Amino acid sequence: MGQVSATFTKTFKELLREKSVLFWTIAWPIIWVMIISFSFTKGVPESHIPSVRGAITISMITFAITIAGMANLPGNIASDRERGLLVKLKSMPVSASKDFAGRIIGLLTFSCLAGFLVLISGFVCGARFSGKLVSIIQSLGFLAIVFLASAGIGLIVGSLIKHVHGAIMTGVAISVITSSISGIFAPYYSLPEVLQTFSRFYPVSSANSSIIYLLVGEWYAGYNPLNFEQIVITLIVSALLFALGLTLYSKHCWR
Amino acid sequence: MQAIKVESLRKRYGDREVLKGINLEIEEGEFYALMGPNGSGKTTLVSIIASVIPPSEGRVEILGKDARLMKKYIGYVPQGNFSSSHLTGRENLTYFARLMGYPKDKVRKIVDELLERVGLSKEADKKVSKYSGGMRKRLEVATAFMPGTKVLILDEPTTGLDPSARKSFLGMLQEMKEEDTTILLVTHIGSDAEIASRVAFMDDGKIVADGKPEELKRKSGLRYVVNVETAIKSERIRDAIEKFGEEGLLETENGYRIFCDDAEKASPEIVKILDRIGCKVTRIGIEKPSLEDVFFKLTRKGIGG
Repeated sequence: MGQVSATFTKTFKELLREKSVLFWTIAWPIIWVMIISFSFTKGVPESHIPSVRGAITISMITFAITIAGMANLPGNIASDRERGLLVKLKSMPVSASKDFAGRIIGLLTFSCLAGFLVLISGFVCGARFSGKLVSIIQSLGFLAIVFLASAGIGLIVGSLIKHVHGAIMTGVAISVITSSISGIFAPYYSLPEVLQTFSRFYPVSSANSSIIYLLVGEWYAGYNPLNFEQIVITLIVSALLFALGLTLYSKHCWR
Repeated sequence: MQAIKVESLRKRYGDREVLKGINLEIEEGEFYALMGPNGSGKTTLVSIIASVIPPSEGRVEILGKDARLMKKYIGYVPQGNFSSSHLTGRENLTYFARLMGYPKDKVRKIVDELLERVGLSKEADKKVSKYSGGMRKRLEVATAFMPGTKVLILDEPTTGLDPSARKSFLGMLQEMKEEDTTILLVTHIGSDAEIASRVAFMDDGKIVADGKPEELKRKSGLRYVVNVETAIKSERIRDAIEKFGEEGLLETENGYRIFCDDAEKASPEIVKILDRIGCKVTRIGIEKPSLEDVFFKLTRKGIGG
């Protein structure tokens, strides 16, 4: 446990002390919660506004977790490789799997912190959620899927792109572009048909819609994503992304 | 007992052979320097010794056992700055101590001792981003010097350090040498290698000479070197002074090193000739040969690259 906990502490502190990480993962989603909550609710019936804000808050929590996995994780891996830390670790009696576990737990903790702060900002802006305890638990499960898929993509980027800035920028680009075209930044119903299909298959947007469906309502999600086929596809694609990321990480960073 | 034993080591990347059958034996407590120009295979060799990369052929033993099983006795400091600039010196050392598996209650004591040893106790709680290059390198050596470390491997540790930081860093290594730790220092700076008890020259994937620094100098046959620093360097200048270098002429950053039999006689003549062709001499001196000079004599290559 010592190696896992040492890597967890290092990863968490590094993420917490890097200003650009704090901006992209915490400040940026909070800013969007505030901007959209107050600027883009014109024309929405008064009674719907708290729920719209709730849906926006959920989308921004998803985005915070996405950016943590897709940009912060590869940045952290690329930085460790660029400065020779991975070479140093290979010369030590350090287990690759424990290093990996510590890194992922550190990122998960940071993602939870970011998600929690975005949630608080949503409440401050007047977001309202509905749903029972079981819906909340199910939603946490879907957030875990978002994390799994994002960390998988982050591991792929961090393993294949060697330079820190290249890895971070690629991660930011993937998360911003996929969020834009999959209905995380824009309502599902406003997407063209081809992107609506993508939104159902892309695990991050599929999980995001599921959480909105569970905690805000079907109208705000744009459709009912809680069908067996879509849930299975979302789970399989997330697991495949994570497994591919893990394989590339162990091949390119530890061998 | 031999701290490090390397037998018939070869490393190939595709068709390119980087290490061409290296044999090396370093005794326990020895301070061994490995000198060679960039691309000679030094880093590949120490990376294999530290079990970072596998060899294509051959075997490495640390304290009589396969190197891969002896990782906890090896302290390896690779090139570059691997410490985290977001963490403090203490946090960095704590991270490495915990990776080594020391129990939490002992880690604090170990870290305090290491900080004391490398002279960073007062700066322990500052972020590494606030450290100077020399302080950061000392911290990184400390990460490799956990309790139980028997073999310290340092890859170009003084690169990028200013002269004062370099001096203080080498002083620290000398103290470690007195403590009976086996040190393998990779460098291309002759004066760094001078403090070692034995030096090996590496060129083109092979060890071309090995011995005590004074022994290598004696065997080279070089007695004195005329070091000429000139305002400019050109083919014309080189042609004019080349005849004085019976043993060769090495171009340096600031001028030329001329290996001649009678330096006392040659130096005023060199000044005269350079004056005649209008070349300004900024400094001239007769010096004892350095390890870089010996390397040049052996390989006809400058060690700087």
